[in-house]
Amino acid sequence: MNLLIESFTILRKELTSELRSRVAVSSVGLFALTTLVAVAYQIGPYRIHEQDRPHLHAALLWIIVFFAASSGLPRVFVKEEDAHTAKSLRLAARPGAVFAGKFLFNLVLLLGLEAFLVPLFAVFMGFSVANLPALVLVLVAGALGLASSATMVAAIISRATGSATLFVVLSVPLVLPMLVFLIQGTRTAATVPELSALLPSLRAVVSLTGVTLVSSAFLFPVVWHD
Amino acid sequence: MTKTKKASLALLFLWFCVVIWAAFFYAPKAAGFKGESSRIVFFHVPQAWVAVLAFCVNLVASLRYLRHRNLLDDARAAAAARLGLLFAVLATVSGSLFAKVMWGSFWNWDPREVSIAILLLIYAAYFALRQAVSDPERRGSLAAAYAILAFVTMPFLVFVVPRIYWSLHPDTIISAQGSVKVQMHPRMFQVLVGSLLGFTGLFWWLYSLEVRLSRLRLRREEGGE
Repeated sequence: MNLLIESFTILRKELTSELRSRVAVSSVGLFALTTLVAVAYQIGPYRIHEQDRPHLHAALLWIIVFFAASSGLPRVFVKEEDAHTAKSLRLAARPGAVFAGKFLFNLVLLLGLEAFLVPLFAVFMGFSVANLPALVLVLVAGALGLASSATMVAAIISRATGSATLFVVLSVPLVLPMLVFLIQGTRTAATVPELSALLPSLRAVVSLTGVTLVSSAFLFPVVWHD
Repeated sequence: MTKTKKASLALLFLWFCVVIWAAFFYAPKAAGFKGESSRIVFFHVPQAWVAVLAFCVNLVASLRYLRHRNLLDDARAAAAARLGLLFAVLATVSGSLFAKVMWGSFWNWDPREVSIAILLLIYAAYFALRQAVSDPERRGSLAAAYAILAFVTMPFLVFVVPRIYWSLHPDTIISAQGSVKVQMHPRMFQVLVGSLLGFTGLFWWLYSLEVRLSRLRLRREEGGE
């Protein structure tokens, strides 16, 4: 079977399984909503000075996205080990297809989280954007970047202890440089109308994502089969 | 200990004595720095260099482990990471002391400070992962995979972040055009190079001790003692 078809088969399996249980969607969604309500209740749109808003809003948005995602992203591999289905999956599909399918599922989950969270964040926090297409670009690049790192780290922790704490410990140092660029990009999208101002941050995020994806594709078979 | 090793150790000791003396009495003070604070560069830069060198050794050993599946390579990777963590802590402490003297605060969230903080987190996470896996072979392969994945983010921390964000630190000695641009008194440069060599020697000595210890541990485990 073609690797692409195999990858989409894994993605379909993940989506079907998620639609049955809704564990990842509900944990990610509820975590995001609870954190947003707590942050908005304490800080809200008026407790931040006008000139500080883009800086703080960009940082708060990505902190909420990353930690909300951390509650659901590792499940793609941890659930296979918990349900003892990992061995069957190893026999049924090539490692490349497994990684691609799980990565695509995490990407869908992250894009869904952003689509749910960002409008609410704008309403509750008074987050205004000078260049909406630029913000959409940053959000898509961010979802790609976070999904690439998180999928590989999820595979590693599922072969270790499978604990969510270990996922955060291992993924934070890897995604921190990316979060720095994403926060910078979001701040630019919120303040500068020109798309060209976004390019330095966007280039950094896209290249970091590319490097992570390529190295993950090479390393995944080692983690998956050992 | 063989005679060659004893002689190398004595040479390393003498080398450091000369470097320490030269850092305070041979090299002049740098212009634009408060008091004698510029002299910390002779110790801070080599510590940061060794932290990065250890990260590179960790990468090579991790790649070797994935290729040959020899537990000694995994032990080499862990030894390099342990020493890298130690030197990264030393570089952070010496950098913070300098920052307090020069800029009035121990920590300024400068891009290079953030880079070393992330490097420390990566090393700490690497050991958290190692402790979470009990099977030595699986520990080796998972730790190697994580080390390689972490290494690919390094160029972004070292080269990209300081170029996107304004930094308190002086520019790197390699310009964006690729040419070397050293703006340092020749005596200062000589001491810095001497210190870099000394710290690199210190790292290799500590690393070889760690590897010898790991080799003995592995032999004992293989012997079933």
